[in-house]
Amino acid sequence: MDKSDKWRLIWPVMVIMVLHFVAIFLFTRGFLLTRTELPFYSTCSDSASQSPCEGGFNSTTGCWTKPLVQRVVIIVIDALRFDFVAPSTCFQEKKPWMDRLKVLQDLALTQPSRARIFKFIADPPTTTLQRLKGLTTGGLPTFIDVGHSFGAPAIVEDNFVHQLVQNGRKVVMMGDDTWMQLFPHHFEKSYPFPSFNVKDLHTVDNGCIDHLIPLLHHDDWDVLIAHFLGVDHAGHIYGVDSGPMVEKLDQYNGVLERVIGILEDHSGPGGLHENTLLLVLGDHGQTLNGDHGGGTAEEAETSLFAMTFDKVHSARTDPSSSDLHLDKMVCQSSIQQLNFAVTVSALLGIPFPFGSIGTAEPELYALVAGVEGLNRSSFKNCENESDLEEWMKNYATVLCKNSWQVKKYVDVYSAASVDGFSSEDMIHITDEYAQAQQNWSQTVKILQSHDNKNCHTSLPALKGQIDAYSRFLDGVAELARSKWTEFNVKMMGAGLGAMFISLVFHFLSIKRVMDFSPCGASKISLGSVFAFSTVLIRGCSFLSNSYILEEGKVANYLLATSCILQLRYSFKKNMMLSEAVILLLLTLALRFSIEIGLSKQAATSLFMNYYPSWLSWFTGDHPFWTLLSVYMPILALLLVAYLIHKSSFGFTWWGISNYVIKLTILSYMLIVVHTILESNVLGLPPASEYYRRVVIPQTIYALGLGKLLLLAIDAFRREGKVLDCYMSLYRKTVMVLCAWSPTIILLSGSKGSLFALALIISGKCMMRLKIAVEDSKGTSDGLLSSCLSQVTQWNLLAVCLFFATGHWCAFDGLRYGAAFIGFDEFIFARQAALQAIETFGFSHILPILGLPFLVADGNSDQGRPFLLFKKISLAYLILGMISAVTVTFTLMCVSIHRRHLMVWGLFAPKYVFDVVGLIVTDTLICMASIYYVTCGR
Amino acid sequence: MEKAPPNYPSAVNLISISDLCLSHSLCVSGLAAAFWAARSIYYIDLISDPFRTLRHFFVIQAPIVILVFSRFRRDPEQCSYLKAMIRGVLGTFAGALVNALVAIALGAPVGLNYLPKTVYWSLLISSLTFVPAACVFGASWKDWRRLFAHTKPVDLVDYMICVPAHGAIVGSWFGAWPMPLDWERPWQEWPICVSYGTMVGYVAGMLLSFGLTVVKSEKQHLKKD
Repeated sequence: MDKSDKWRLIWPVMVIMVLHFVAIFLFTRGFLLTRTELPFYSTCSDSASQSPCEGGFNSTTGCWTKPLVQRVVIIVIDALRFDFVAPSTCFQEKKPWMDRLKVLQDLALTQPSRARIFKFIADPPTTTLQRLKGLTTGGLPTFIDVGHSFGAPAIVEDNFVHQLVQNGRKVVMMGDDTWMQLFPHHFEKSYPFPSFNVKDLHTVDNGCIDHLIPLLHHDDWDVLIAHFLGVDHAGHIYGVDSGPMVEKLDQYNGVLERVIGILEDHSGPGGLHENTLLLVLGDHGQTLNGDHGGGTAEEAETSLFAMTFDKVHSARTDPSSSDLHLDKMVCQSSIQQLNFAVTVSALLGIPFPFGSIGTAEPELYALVAGVEGLNRSSFKNCENESDLEEWMKNYATVLCKNSWQVKKYVDVYSAASVDGFSSEDMIHITDEYAQAQQNWSQTVKILQSHDNKNCHTSLPALKGQIDAYSRFLDGVAELARSKWTEFNVKMMGAGLGAMFISLVFHFLSIKRVMDFSPCGASKISLGSVFAFSTVLIRGCSFLSNSYILEEGKVANYLLATSCILQLRYSFKKNMMLSEAVILLLLTLALRFSIEIGLSKQAATSLFMNYYPSWLSWFTGDHPFWTLLSVYMPILALLLVAYLIHKSSFGFTWWGISNYVIKLTILSYMLIVVHTILESNVLGLPPASEYYRRVVIPQTIYALGLGKLLLLAIDAFRREGKVLDCYMSLYRKTVMVLCAWSPTIILLSGSKGSLFALALIISGKCMMRLKIAVEDSKGTSDGLLSSCLSQVTQWNLLAVCLFFATGHWCAFDGLRYGAAFIGFDEFIFARQAALQAIETFGFSHILPILGLPFLVADGNSDQGRPFLLFKKISLAYLILGMISAVTVTFTLMCVSIHRRHLMVWGLFAPKYVFDVVGLIVTDTLICMASIYYVTCGR
Repeated sequence: MEKAPPNYPSAVNLISISDLCLSHSLCVSGLAAAFWAARSIYYIDLISDPFRTLRHFFVIQAPIVILVFSRFRRDPEQCSYLKAMIRGVLGTFAGALVNALVAIALGAPVGLNYLPKTVYWSLLISSLTFVPAACVFGASWKDWRRLFAHTKPVDLVDYMICVPAHGAIVGSWFGAWPMPLDWERPWQEWPICVSYGTMVGYVAGMLLSFGLTVVKSEKQHLKKD
């Protein structure tokens, strides 16, 4: 076994790793749209000092713009379809859920100068959290907003709620508690209600109503946000065409009637709501089945109803202006949700959110100002157009500031973000802006020179100016959409192609390793057939969202099946029966652990409802359970420590190995102390708290690092010594596992040691069962088939452990607490490393590093180093292949389902976890191959 | 690999083809009769009342299986018909325990509300898989291994025990597949679709074993000729 032999076995692993990285990179660029969150905020003084819009007409009395309304009531109705609000005449046929919100329709049709209905178009992902973020920041939230918040969804970007608070406005919130997650400290008063129980149609709504109506009589708020959830929940449970949905809509009709009545009562001169704007809007739509998340018209189209209570303005416009085309207008006029934040900010006269890329919406602006707006007015008669001219001047100023703010954001974003806009696009944007801005100075001149109210020159000039700004803003929005909301299918295809190439290469490498020493054509055994079908079944199961949600159970089902087949095999050979039974029992234990994890997942997931009834037996506070939960882990830890100690018996260990073993046992003892202190059974004084929280964990990490360092030194030092290869491999594997396991156990919390014990026992059982297989077949004949079934089973066990240790493929499935064991302050690299170790510890790190135990076998491999290393690299290649095939299936399913309604809620997190898992697997396999495949001769 | 040379009392080899036909049809018609009775007499089915329906199936099918298979007992000299029946009854409960444990390891729900359904499902599948072998072989470890581990049925009775039993197990395994899907149909509940899988697999196994029986006996006739 010389250097070249080693290299022959190792290089394919590295090529495969590189291929995988390329594939993942390409696919991710096409699929996972990312955006960087910028921590900058607009302030009142920005505009005066920097914007080019000052020195035009209208010195502003507000902050950036002249406030047109004093108070705003925002009523959000979750999943409000457009056809819930718009009159049924807009649609081909009348459905039972249409025309239920009569009060809004009547107002829009009879008083079009005060109340309007708009189609309100959302951008995907159409989920509540992302939409609220989009509505308040005026941006396009993507699936991954790269930012500084690690886990917590609180908005760090500038948004209009923040601006309101900064400018001394009081905001009151009631309803869906998602708002509290996004804005934990912003509200003057808040009445949040839990939103995750989809089956509960009324708690949130009734809570909202109870607080909303009295608050409307109060004057201690400026902006009121009420978020109703009933329609969304009714859709999820019963669908749109159902009785509960109609009931909910009827209920809302009543509520809105009351709200409008109260606002109307107080809207007289000097009244509480003299200058109030009512906005009733949906955050997204829903399909007829009540699903949302994707970008189809049904999900993206919701509605906005706006009504102003400003009697002075509305009286000014001609009341007879309601024409025959009103119906059509209601059906056709639309507003982008992107534009909401900036429009509301402009109306309230607060700074526009820094990251907003929307346009101040002319129709909404016109409605509040009480003029007919751009599209509906003609410039024919110049008389009585002073209002219009005044409004247009105002609006042009708003657009000027708006364009300036958007330009600034785009510039800053491109400079700050890793992948900003392309330079080509930037040049185009800059051109458009320069053009519009040049136009602006001309317009200002024209208007100032024609101060004598010559509307024939001033109105077209203003109109041209507004058009120039709108062109610029539309251009930016379109660019941003293409960057942040559209998949790049070609990139995804290229990534998938690269993945397939890597699979072919992987297959060829396995074949190549098999050919190194001819060992007879391996027969197709039941084991290898089962291994193939297991991988296939698992891969195909990702096609369905239900199987992804219960992936842990699916993996456990397959693992248990493989154990049953193993039992049958042992039964057939009449040997190792007890090992097979133990393996099956371990699977049983894992199954319960997985179910506990599932029930945790269900608590936060919108898509599932899961609570195994046996779980309630354990929730009681009986002292027996507490004792069990403290002493079981300690017992398991001691057992693991004993097993490690025992494994070092009977062999001649040199210095370094000896130290590593001793340090490991010391680490285990420290974990025992940690567990005891944590459970507080001894009732120790709080002084020990510091040791528990900081000293012990940090010592364990330091010991782990030290051990790895020792091993690295050892690996270099021993290159020259002659040694029995099998013994050397065995020793190395024990050492590596010793170095990693204490950290992983500590991070996994109190149950960690139990899983470590389970892993050791199942590994031992599988090893012995493999001997049973090989004994009967002869050593080399069934090498591939035995390796295949063993490694497949090992991989299934690893997957089960991932779910059993309380993880699942979603970002709330990460155990954020683990990153802070031993540390109080947050340093990204350090905490991310801890988080990664915790997440992939039991499912990737330990199983992959421990794989040699499974394949190597002291009896047949002693004295045949090349066969031994061939086996090892074969096992690693097969393990890598299984992961790669699984990930390829995930990629295919994600591509197929990219328009699926759960793509952001379910498939994308699954994709991220799988891809990161594959990267971890590849890296570990590569390192393990380098470390293990050398005999030190 | 050691092969157990069939060393049977001559009586077993003399089972007539008509006898086997009758036994096959009795077992299948037992299930059919249970289906019919549940529907038209008790007005229950698996979906509306899985617990009572499964109990009903078990109560009808188990005695039929025990009565049919006790006739084929391997050692008629030492073992009376009654004794074979007692073996069958014991086998029912032992097999139910094993089946229930395996089902739980595979992920069958655990809980007090599921307990009766699990019990009767496992009794039913036990009467389709374990009971025939228990009646015929008793505690003969060698024969059990030959059929369930090596899957090497030798004579016609072996086929009749082995093929439907494997059919029932494989059918149940596939029957569990739709359970996690979010179609929200009542039949996706444990153990309804699994029971359907069990019975479909069992009937398919019976048909297959019947086909094999016919083919085999024709071969034997040819040999004799």
